[in-house]
Amino acid sequence: MSTENDVAQIEEARIPGNYSARKIQRWNPSSIYATNIIHNNVKSNVKSNDAIHKNLPVNHVSPAQMYSTDSGRMFHAGSICIIMVGLPGRGKTNLSISLCRYLRWLGVRTELFHLGDYRRKNTDLNKETDLNFDKLNSNSYFSLQPENSNIKNLKSKIKSELIDDIISFFETSNGQIAIYDAINGLSSERKKLLDFFKSKNIKCLFIESIIDDVELLNENIRDAVNSPDYKSWDSEAALENFTNRIKANEAYYEHLDSKRANLPFIQSYNFGEKILINDLKHDFLTTKIIYYLLNAKIKCHSIYFARCSLNKLKFKDDPPITENGKVYINKIYNTLASSFTDKKIPKGLVVWTSTRLRTIQSSQIFKNAGCTVRHRPELTQLNPGAAEGLTDQELDEKFHESYVKHLSDPYHHRYPRAESYHDLALKIEPLILEMEKLSHDVLIIADETIIRIFYGYLMASNANDIPLIEFPQNEIIKITYHTYNNEIENLVVDGIAKE
Amino acid sequence: MPFATIADSNPIKLCVVIVGLPARGKSFISQKIVRYLSWLSIPTKSFNCSTNLEQILKESGTNADDLFRSNYASDGEILNKTRDITLEQILDWFGNVAACGVAIYDGINATKVERDRLNKTLQNHGINTVFLEAYCDDESIIETNITDIDSTSPEYSKFESLQDTINSVSNKIQFYSKAYQTLTTEDEGDLSFIKLINFSSQIILNHIDSYLKSRIVYYIMNLHVKNRYIWLSRHGESQYNLEGKIGGDASLSERGVKYSYKLVELVNKYIPNHDKLEVWTSTLKRTQQTAKFLPYPQKQWKALDELDAGSCDGLTYEEIAEKYPDDFKARDDNKFEYRYPGGESYRDVITRLEPIIMALENQENVLVITHQAVLRCIYAYFMNVHQEESPWMSIPLHTLIRLEIKAYGTQVTRIKADIPAVSTYKERGTSKLGESSNGTNIMSGSVISGITDKVVI
Repeated sequence: MSTENDVAQIEEARIPGNYSARKIQRWNPSSIYATNIIHNNVKSNVKSNDAIHKNLPVNHVSPAQMYSTDSGRMFHAGSICIIMVGLPGRGKTNLSISLCRYLRWLGVRTELFHLGDYRRKNTDLNKETDLNFDKLNSNSYFSLQPENSNIKNLKSKIKSELIDDIISFFETSNGQIAIYDAINGLSSERKKLLDFFKSKNIKCLFIESIIDDVELLNENIRDAVNSPDYKSWDSEAALENFTNRIKANEAYYEHLDSKRANLPFIQSYNFGEKILINDLKHDFLTTKIIYYLLNAKIKCHSIYFARCSLNKLKFKDDPPITENGKVYINKIYNTLASSFTDKKIPKGLVVWTSTRLRTIQSSQIFKNAGCTVRHRPELTQLNPGAAEGLTDQELDEKFHESYVKHLSDPYHHRYPRAESYHDLALKIEPLILEMEKLSHDVLIIADETIIRIFYGYLMASNANDIPLIEFPQNEIIKITYHTYNNEIENLVVDGIAKE
Repeated sequence: MPFATIADSNPIKLCVVIVGLPARGKSFISQKIVRYLSWLSIPTKSFNCSTNLEQILKESGTNADDLFRSNYASDGEILNKTRDITLEQILDWFGNVAACGVAIYDGINATKVERDRLNKTLQNHGINTVFLEAYCDDESIIETNITDIDSTSPEYSKFESLQDTINSVSNKIQFYSKAYQTLTTEDEGDLSFIKLINFSSQIILNHIDSYLKSRIVYYIMNLHVKNRYIWLSRHGESQYNLEGKIGGDASLSERGVKYSYKLVELVNKYIPNHDKLEVWTSTLKRTQQTAKFLPYPQKQWKALDELDAGSCDGLTYEEIAEKYPDDFKARDDNKFEYRYPGGESYRDVITRLEPIIMALENQENVLVITHQAVLRCIYAYFMNVHQEESPWMSIPLHTLIRLEIKAYGTQVTRIKADIPAVSTYKERGTSKLGESSNGTNIMSGSVISGITDKVVI
């Protein structure tokens, strides 16, 4: 089903819908992630990072992937190279990482290519060898147009190594979106990239990040100085050096401009305050990307997860909160409060629960403390359908065929009348966008099944691991957004049994 | 229930102010936004400036042609009055009708001064604003728009020929364009605005500072102007249908199976380009069995599953009335909001259907085979059916429904397979099944019989 001229290779799903998700061989759990996560959960009060910087294994399965094809690509779109554009300190890396997280979660095979990583691999900046990192002048590596030919050659060697990796990601690893994170500040350079990728049947989408708000820029520059480049530097010196690095680029830097070259691009000012979209086909992926950029804030706050009490209930039961439940939520409240520096729940905290009576009542204590509390039906636990209350042995007897399938693919499989984790992920997607838009800490009080889905998004988990992640009743999970990755911390709630 | 998204924590009062010369597709976008937001149960109303202008002209005995032949004066008496009245209508709506919601100011709003004044007044009344400009300098798009207006817009139905419409619209364009100032981030950088250039070949988004606004942007980007078809069908008659039970995951009845064969014929005969068709079903047996013989790519969506009746699943309406008399009555009283114990309400179904609607806006040539309640919700979106009525609509079994989606509205045609089936329709206040006695709740549109091809209106 492909036409000669069409840039996008169109590929049919071999087996329609979620059935292909049930093809056992495509959904083997990746043991690396599984052990990582389980390990993280065993220890408490330990900080650990998410998996966004790990390369995708071939059998990676994304939480909200709608269907799969044998090649692993979605049949909506072909290969796309997202090319970041922007001066140093404009949050390009930050944006590319959060976009990668979202796209992977949607089931788009996405990989990050940071030019900085390639440079560091090839050169040693802290030794005074081939690169003179301290002395920035027109000959410097960090100028957009260095005059020294050795530096020029080194630069192009490092870039071509990265480009080769992008091509091989598309050609041999079934990649669908590559995100090329570098300054890409020259119009001629961008045109060259566009033509090159076009010759390989790869579409380009340029995303430029511009910051014209001085305060925001300074804040961002302070953050950028934490980069691995300045590991052993004094912070004042690092700041000065980085500022000079920006200056060295500014002289030559050219903004994307539809009047000069009509490239398909998105230009984002001050992280989504103003966005210009030029010459883009509004297909499934591009509209998702724009929608995401509109909501994605550069965040530094935390998302907290607490389990609701009484989760041994039947799905259809909806009783009011019990005395035990009240004691439980009080303890959650106190533990959370004591984790803040002033030992108080901040008023800005936003609390989300499902529409079940007991969770609504649980959140009352936060409402009393002045927090904004919202209830949404999407946060109701996974519907276990006909499998409700049955032991493994009973399931094996009653639904033998289904049981076998479930063991091989617990993420996508659903028992009769039940919901799968995958169904939950699709249902929750709008809430994930709302969460990205918020500039407050959020506490989500929900069933374990719901927490797993959010966790999977925030920590870039492989879908197959998600049903296995355990969240003990006596812990509050805190996930904090950072520039380079998200960090998880477990707050232990005293006086509650683990399960 | 006051509407609030999670991110926008206060009840929303938003006014979308449309900006643009005539024939830029402004009304198309306004009515689409109304459709989408009201379907999400956000009170939404469009206030049309040109309707008000017409009224004022009539009252003052002024000839429209005279006005449009004169020079544009921003503070001209007639235009000023039109603006005041439209604004008043909006303030009145927020004050007396909708405590929260979205108003759409559908007008030209040609100059910076006018926009600034409007923005300030609305903000002073605690109403948030977003300006939406449809900008176009591509003559061919404008021409298409005028032709489209001529054939579909009620405003121009009074003209006899296309040429009359062209003349009238051109006069208006000339009149306004002398004074028109387009939105730019340099001049009006403080405004929250969306600027669509040549129907979104370029888009500028400025200060899209709330989640709802980003939703509107996302929605607009998914829109097509092209006329197209969406095909809908319920599953064939199921065993549960025969027994009068609701919910469940039953297989098709004998007649249901017949329908699944017949559906292949109907698709062949009535769906143009069916070789490119895509079929969407729910995850329940009865829709998959109905789609079984269709040789096209198929997708299954959990979101297309029937409304979950919770504890009442698998019961007949008579049993529900007997076992849960309070619930039975509560549901009849407010069917849209009523949530079955442990199950779903119509509102819940709409929440989960939203991604489906986005996907349908972005696509053509899709046949959706799903269930009664879900079809009611999808149908309500495309046909603008009010939420109080939509749960009471009768959607017959064994019928292929064609929605023809045009710029200014949707036309529906029912193609009957002529295979008998039970009725699963329940009127308010009874537990008996059967079509409504006066037929008022049956979906509108023309009917084609699958055998005779004869159109019965």
